[in-house]
Amino acid sequence: MSELHWLSIAEMAAAFAARRLSPVEVLSALLARIERLDTRLHTFVRLDADVAMDAARAAERDIAAGRSRGKLHGIAVGLKDIIDVAGLPTTCHSKILLDNVARADATVTAKLRQAGAVILGKLATHEFAIGGPSFDLPFPPARNPWNPDHHPGGSSSGAGAGVAAGLFPAGIGSDTGGSVRNPASCCGIVGLKPTYGLVSRRGVFPLSYTLDHVGPLGRTVADIALLLDAIAGHDAADPGSAPSGARDFGRELDRGVRDLRIGFIRHFHETDMPATPEMTAAIADAARVLESEGALVRTVTLPSLNEFAAVNRVILASEAWSVHAPWLRTRPGDYGQLARRRLMPGAFIAAGDYVGAQRRRAQMIAAVEDAFRDVDVLLCASSMDPASRIEDSAETARTYPRQARTPFNVTGHPALAMMSGLSDNGLPLSVQFAGRYFQDATVLRVAAAYERATEWHTRRPPIG
Amino acid sequence: MEHDLVIALAKAAGLEKALTDYPDDVAAAAAQAAETGGAIRVPTDPAIEPWPPMRAGTGR
Repeated sequence: MSELHWLSIAEMAAAFAARRLSPVEVLSALLARIERLDTRLHTFVRLDADVAMDAARAAERDIAAGRSRGKLHGIAVGLKDIIDVAGLPTTCHSKILLDNVARADATVTAKLRQAGAVILGKLATHEFAIGGPSFDLPFPPARNPWNPDHHPGGSSSGAGAGVAAGLFPAGIGSDTGGSVRNPASCCGIVGLKPTYGLVSRRGVFPLSYTLDHVGPLGRTVADIALLLDAIAGHDAADPGSAPSGARDFGRELDRGVRDLRIGFIRHFHETDMPATPEMTAAIADAARVLESEGALVRTVTLPSLNEFAAVNRVILASEAWSVHAPWLRTRPGDYGQLARRRLMPGAFIAAGDYVGAQRRRAQMIAAVEDAFRDVDVLLCASSMDPASRIEDSAETARTYPRQARTPFNVTGHPALAMMSGLSDNGLPLSVQFAGRYFQDATVLRVAAAYERATEWHTRRPPIG
Repeated sequence: MEHDLVIALAKAAGLEKALTDYPDDVAAAAAQAAETGGAIRVPTDPAIEPWPPMRAGTGR
């Protein structure tokens, strides 16, 4: 058996069921690793070790007594610190909410508990899920385990870094402009932004009501399916929640991609926002791999990436201003500079521009829906560059917007990012797959086929 | 966006404190807002409604 901290959720669950391992043994190994590595990686805003160990002991007893709740029973999960856990502060990594103790679990937290997961603690984020890697906040920014001098992506930074470093097998983040998929891309793991409405946002601090999604990060595609099984479902307390649909998101993982029609959106990374040569090569190679597995790959054209990004920015800025205006008026100094600068633009956007962006959004959704009449899944870039150096603010500001994740926040389609290579300087490269509404399982099917055909998911960061 | 307009809009938005303490951040935010909207091809057809459409409740 491989080292405990590198086991997938599926492997841990099998070992628990066979009594070869217990949740307490695994959690003890993870806590020791966190103690050893997290002083360098800063993935946790708050580690709830004692409560987690109590939960692991309870899981161990239940599993031993034949009362297993399923494959997440006894599995340690970290939550981005914008997600409520009853009794713990939800700080949003900000001085503004340092004392904001949650009175109840977010729906996603409650669903994880129902599935038997062990809530390990609260994870670093960009301030209010928007700021960026900042050094003027109450907590340090998380760092990339492939090279701690580099940004782990964000805003679900702690989730990406911690899963990639083997501190915990699963994280839950949020994604408004790519914030689950960016850390997955930068840290060489898998991150899914589910279909809008599939996972409840109740108890998750809002950034932009019509763009916010909650999604899982893990080291394998199968683990993402297991996590989605646990957290998906209708929630009447979330106005955007969709009616419950089919479950068992892993049902198509073994089907392969023979005769599946894949639309390759080349213009996003070839002309709209040209990616680095090695990222371009890694994306092209992903298309070749899927073609060699039997998929039918054809080129697809959508509205320009720059326009998708502009629509996302206008909507995000307007909706975020509505959330943050009271604090920006009275406590501007309690924000870090990056968040202050990124949350105030909404004060300068006219109402007509917001509505105009929402009207263009309707056309963009129609354009993507048109594309899905001819293809089953879309393939495109996630990031255009490997992770920037975290203390090089100019490089981070240049590269951070160079990405193709926002289109699927604008449209709400499910989208997954995963590792597709390593750069010359040893940082992960990535690719993205998107699917039809509520066909998250098909996105996972393609990702699983790519994972089986390549070995990137077996690579580990040289963090020790 | 001209400086006087930025000041006026910031005051109208209630950002006097930010204007006093963080004038560069207010200016940067205004510049970001001005840069963003121009890239969008807003539909000329008045029939194109914003997303998401208004929906009635259940009536129950």
